[in-house]
Amino acid sequence: METNVTAIMPGLTARVVVNEGDKVSKGQEVAVINCMKTEIKVLSEHEGVVKKILVKEWDELQVGDPMVVLDV
Amino acid sequence: MIRKLLIANRGEIVSRIIRTCREMGIATVAVCSEADRESPYVRQADENVLIGPANPLRSYLNIAALIEAARETGADAVHPGYGFLSERGAFAEAVERAGLAWVGPDAKLLRAISSKCYCRQVADEVGVPVVPGTLAPATDEREIVAYGRRFGYPLFLKPDKGGGGKGIEVIESEAQVPEVFKRAASISQMAFGFPACYIERVVSKPRHIEVQFLADRQGNCVCLGERECSIQRRHQKVVEEAPSTIVTAEDRQEIFEHTRNFVLKLGYNGAGTIEGLRSQDGDYYFMEINARLQVEHPVTEFTTGIDIVKHQIRIAAGEPLALLQSDIRSRGSSIEARIYAEDPVTFLPSPGVIRRALLPEASRHLRIDHALEDNCVVPPYYDPLLAKVISWDATRSAAIGHLVAALSHIRIEGVKTNIATSLHILNHPRFAQGSFDTGFVQECLDETSNAELTSGGKTRWVS
Repeated sequence: METNVTAIMPGLTARVVVNEGDKVSKGQEVAVINCMKTEIKVLSEHEGVVKKILVKEWDELQVGDPMVVLDV
Repeated sequence: MIRKLLIANRGEIVSRIIRTCREMGIATVAVCSEADRESPYVRQADENVLIGPANPLRSYLNIAALIEAARETGADAVHPGYGFLSERGAFAEAVERAGLAWVGPDAKLLRAISSKCYCRQVADEVGVPVVPGTLAPATDEREIVAYGRRFGYPLFLKPDKGGGGKGIEVIESEAQVPEVFKRAASISQMAFGFPACYIERVVSKPRHIEVQFLADRQGNCVCLGERECSIQRRHQKVVEEAPSTIVTAEDRQEIFEHTRNFVLKLGYNGAGTIEGLRSQDGDYYFMEINARLQVEHPVTEFTTGIDIVKHQIRIAAGEPLALLQSDIRSRGSSIEARIYAEDPVTFLPSPGVIRRALLPEASRHLRIDHALEDNCVVPPYYDPLLAKVISWDATRSAAIGHLVAALSHIRIEGVKTNIATSLHILNHPRFAQGSFDTGFVQECLDETSNAELTSGGKTRWVS
């Protein structure tokens, strides 16, 4: 099954800290959002494998926007 | 002579610069992204140009779009404000190449001082004490290990091209050296495009003391006074004041002299600030130079009566400074509280729409720098600073009183603000006594219950 790791705050993508194919555990940092110059960590809510990275540095984000696709 | 100034920034600082331009008879051009189209600062300027989408990379950080906006409107000068491209050599150079006046130190100087180690070396050459550490970037692990054996841990690794507290890594022990050195270099490369990092020792319980200066192209430099900026959270200043309660007349004379020697050696022209640390033992150390107008410049304007933006513009036009050091008189005490769109307890940002903004009237005791109005948008893409409330009086306690009264009356509805936290700080006995260091805000929050800041009678925001 696939699930998305989504933006928890609006802002800009600061960076994605995983690569496609990486195993991630529940609670692991996946990406960082820059909201009003504060860096906010986005944690995975599931255990799984990174299938696809959908965003890159400086991409705009609204709350709920998918950032990373996980195979769980 | 500057006739039309383009302000390459957004928000309160644009309103601030426009005010001085009006007095000087200079026409103004504001720029905005699609997210700021309806912002009041845009309408305050004589002309405005939409320079790009909300994403700052394509608007406020877009050099080509800004130069084009200046061409299109016939502006003959560019003021970069603070943040964004204000200290970027490439922008200053593009402005100079377009035949426009750049309000700030020239491109060559901006490029040189973007290296922290260059600044540390120049300071050292003219006898200005720098924060203890290395003057050149660390080239390998062995150098750090040797340094650690000599001076102990913890040590900081700081990016040579860094700024704003970004990318600073702490080494707690010799065992951590290889790992932290590698990480610091890679973060520094990613964030600033250069891997070089240098070593700094920890100054325990420091106070942040900075000196505002003006320097012209003719080799004159005057110091307008120091500012105390120790009230910070996560390296972000929250409350600033002038003068500092801890700087003695002798200290002041010495740090002014150090500032002048350093600035003249650099060949700096424009307004700027030397940021420093004062150790518990009373030693002052140079930390970094800020080659721009600073957010907290109003406290110096209030105590000296000098309009720093006016002098910036005159220096950019090539005029010599019309001030001597002996002309500078500092009167009374001025304090600034920054209002940020953020949760007062977690410091998490709070973008949204300000449904209602009720701010007190300015007076001889009060200045409010802002670009707010009812129903204005606070976009998530830019700085969280909403407004600056600045008070002045003959004594520090009276200035605190005015600031507390003003902050208590402010109503900002729709986004969360840090006003409750600032009131808590200003009402704290240690703030009144002036006995604090850069760890004060955190200590202050640790002893306060969250409920007091979020639900007590002091709360002035509606989430």
